[in-house]
Amino acid sequence: MPAQPPLPPLLAPYVSALPPSSLTLLSSVLGATGNWLILRYLYSALGAPTGDAAFGLLGGESGRKRKVVLVSFLRGWEFWRSEAKRLGLDLARLTDKRQFAFVDGLSELFYTPATLPPSSQTTPTTSGPAPSRTVLPVRSQPGPVPARGGPQPAPAPARPTPNNPYQRVQQQSRGPGPVKQLHLTGTGVQALDALENDISSVIKQLKTPVTPGEEEPEILLIVDQPDLLLAATGPAKGIGATEMGEWIMGLQQNVHATVLALSADSPLIHNAAESAHQPSTPLEMESAAFAIGSAHRAQMVLQLRNLETGAARDVSGVLRVSKGGAWGQVDAGAEDKWEEREVLYFVQRDGGVCVFGRGE
Amino acid sequence: MSFRKRNIGLSAGADRAPAPNTTTAQPEQASAPPESNPGIRPSPDDGRPTTSTGSLSLDNLLAGHGGLPIGKMLLIEENGTTDFAGALLRYYAAEGVVQDQKIHVIGMPEQWGRSLPGLLGPADAGDEKKSDRRKGDRMKIAWRYERLGEFGAGVAGSRGWSSPTRRNRRVRGTQTLTGVAPAATSGDQTMTDGVQPAFCHSFDLTKRLTHPSIANINYIPLVPSNEPLFTSILKRLQQVISQSPPNTAHRIIIPSLLNPTLYPPETSQPDILLPFLHSLKALLSAPTTRITAMVTIPLSLFSRSSGLVRWIEIISDGVIELCPFPHSADALGASGAATSHEEPPQGMLKTHRLPVLHERGGGSDQNIGQDWAFTLSRRKFEIKPFSLPPAEGDKEAQDGATSGGMPKKADLEF
Repeated sequence: MPAQPPLPPLLAPYVSALPPSSLTLLSSVLGATGNWLILRYLYSALGAPTGDAAFGLLGGESGRKRKVVLVSFLRGWEFWRSEAKRLGLDLARLTDKRQFAFVDGLSELFYTPATLPPSSQTTPTTSGPAPSRTVLPVRSQPGPVPARGGPQPAPAPARPTPNNPYQRVQQQSRGPGPVKQLHLTGTGVQALDALENDISSVIKQLKTPVTPGEEEPEILLIVDQPDLLLAATGPAKGIGATEMGEWIMGLQQNVHATVLALSADSPLIHNAAESAHQPSTPLEMESAAFAIGSAHRAQMVLQLRNLETGAARDVSGVLRVSKGGAWGQVDAGAEDKWEEREVLYFVQRDGGVCVFGRGE
Repeated sequence: MSFRKRNIGLSAGADRAPAPNTTTAQPEQASAPPESNPGIRPSPDDGRPTTSTGSLSLDNLLAGHGGLPIGKMLLIEENGTTDFAGALLRYYAAEGVVQDQKIHVIGMPEQWGRSLPGLLGPADAGDEKKSDRRKGDRMKIAWRYERLGEFGAGVAGSRGWSSPTRRNRRVRGTQTLTGVAPAATSGDQTMTDGVQPAFCHSFDLTKRLTHPSIANINYIPLVPSNEPLFTSILKRLQQVISQSPPNTAHRIIIPSLLNPTLYPPETSQPDILLPFLHSLKALLSAPTTRITAMVTIPLSLFSRSSGLVRWIEIISDGVIELCPFPHSADALGASGAATSHEEPPQGMLKTHRLPVLHERGGGSDQNIGQDWAFTLSRRKFEIKPFSLPPAEGDKEAQDGATSGGMPKKADLEF
């Protein structure tokens, strides 16, 4: 199979020209995950030379700077950093240049590690033995404990002493400094609001111009698998599909365009249907409602799925691009640039992706 | 030899690589003696550190990495009432014990650890004899590929040690991209010494493992306490892991998750279970720790078509389903086996998701799309391509078909 550029030509119209205030839904299944496609969105927005050329199509918007906020609930910073590197994107450098921000919804979403002080502890100030734990949070920047009023998980009964040398090593080498970590505390809408505030503050930080007089940048928000939040809380904790939908809508207000990656496996979508053989669980009903509701609000829906005819060695899956429920509601100009179609894709060992039509 | 030089270059690079963004922790890691990484080797595919599952053919199934990559969680689902998955867990635990890794067993009493299978020796050694026997009937292509295609036809490249030149070329190619793990150091030094520590051992299920470090297994019982069950499990895990030396490799073993004889009923609520698994995933993927995990779940109680199990699968990095054949063992005697030399398969194995590969988007693995059959014998859990037998039972089946469903030719005469 011939090598294709990092952004395959067949894929480019779907990935690069996101209309303003639009929602793009990216659905994946167990055997066909969408991480590679999210990376293509990152590349399209942040990859330097080709990115500009692609945005040139958008006319007046080409002059504005593009920035990306990636919120990931199932993968850590290490994964995104190393995978983006395979595409030639240095996310750590882009973070320093304030073109990219990562919001970590994996590490401490449900449980804050009791043995670790707030993650802001990245400065090597503790080279001497720390006298007591209470002095440790020097910088309070992303500090999870004071920032949130909600109930904290009870501290571990037997805490290891802070003088443990191994432990200190771990604290200091814990992820890069600028990564914001999300914590879910409390229940219901308040918990979601707190998360929304955290993410919005990252977006605002990225928006504020570095040099005065600079034009406000366009922010692309990518939310990777927020349906985990829904699945792991559910109506019992006061978070349902409606609340999640509103949460996404609230996030959308702050940004130029939003890409939402969800799981759309058959049990999560079809079990909720009336015709299902077994009564559906709240998890299945809420997942289906959230995914379908999001599809109705999206301009474009990209569905990834396995090949129906079984696995193949040179095909990873099928990508189907279709119009979402909100298609045609905003200015039609930008939307003429793509058409609905179904293509095959193949993710190579080196991280490259081939996108091709059936039979090509 | 030419590859020695490459090795030197590689290990120098590896020292720098492990954690590029953690300057303070670096001297600690770089100066760590390589002996502290037993059982960890770089993947022949992209150089990330992997560790063995204790079963050679399961190692070879895992998308060309030749083992379970560090930081990944493997979910093994099993249909029916058999305990093949439990055997895999025991191999996994026994391998960890032999490699001096720290084992954490959740929800099982200490008897579980006493019934680990006994050590036979390095798995490769046992294999050697077998391939010797086969050598006669097989045409040799080239000596350097000799051991690559041993398992089935599609697992080329997963036997990292046997093809040092190839592996090094690959590792070197991706070194700048992914960062070679510190384990590369240990691997290459031992290579130049000419002594290779065994990566995977073979075990005998009928014997009992005796090893000094078997007493170090950390059992986390499922006892009710005043805080939620999974919260206390996580706390205990975090506590032990943060107190152990930074280079320790950990294995977390969760047998029969959600099994109602072990777990209280409320744990199968998604809002209790999924946060636990999510936090477990977070614990595993923390850059400074070296943890792998293996979880088994009984599918007869929790169907794959339910949303909860699907979410468990989405959170896991690898998903393997075991479907044991329903018939009894003696009925299988004649059918199933491709030849009289091989043991008959005991069930089908499906790979729904493989670590790393599917995280990247899937595809491009030679093992994908194969039908796999597994055979658990005294000495190993073997996974091989499934093929229907050509002979024996077939005739009866044909007879049955003609007498029952299809009308005989005579009846059709008109």
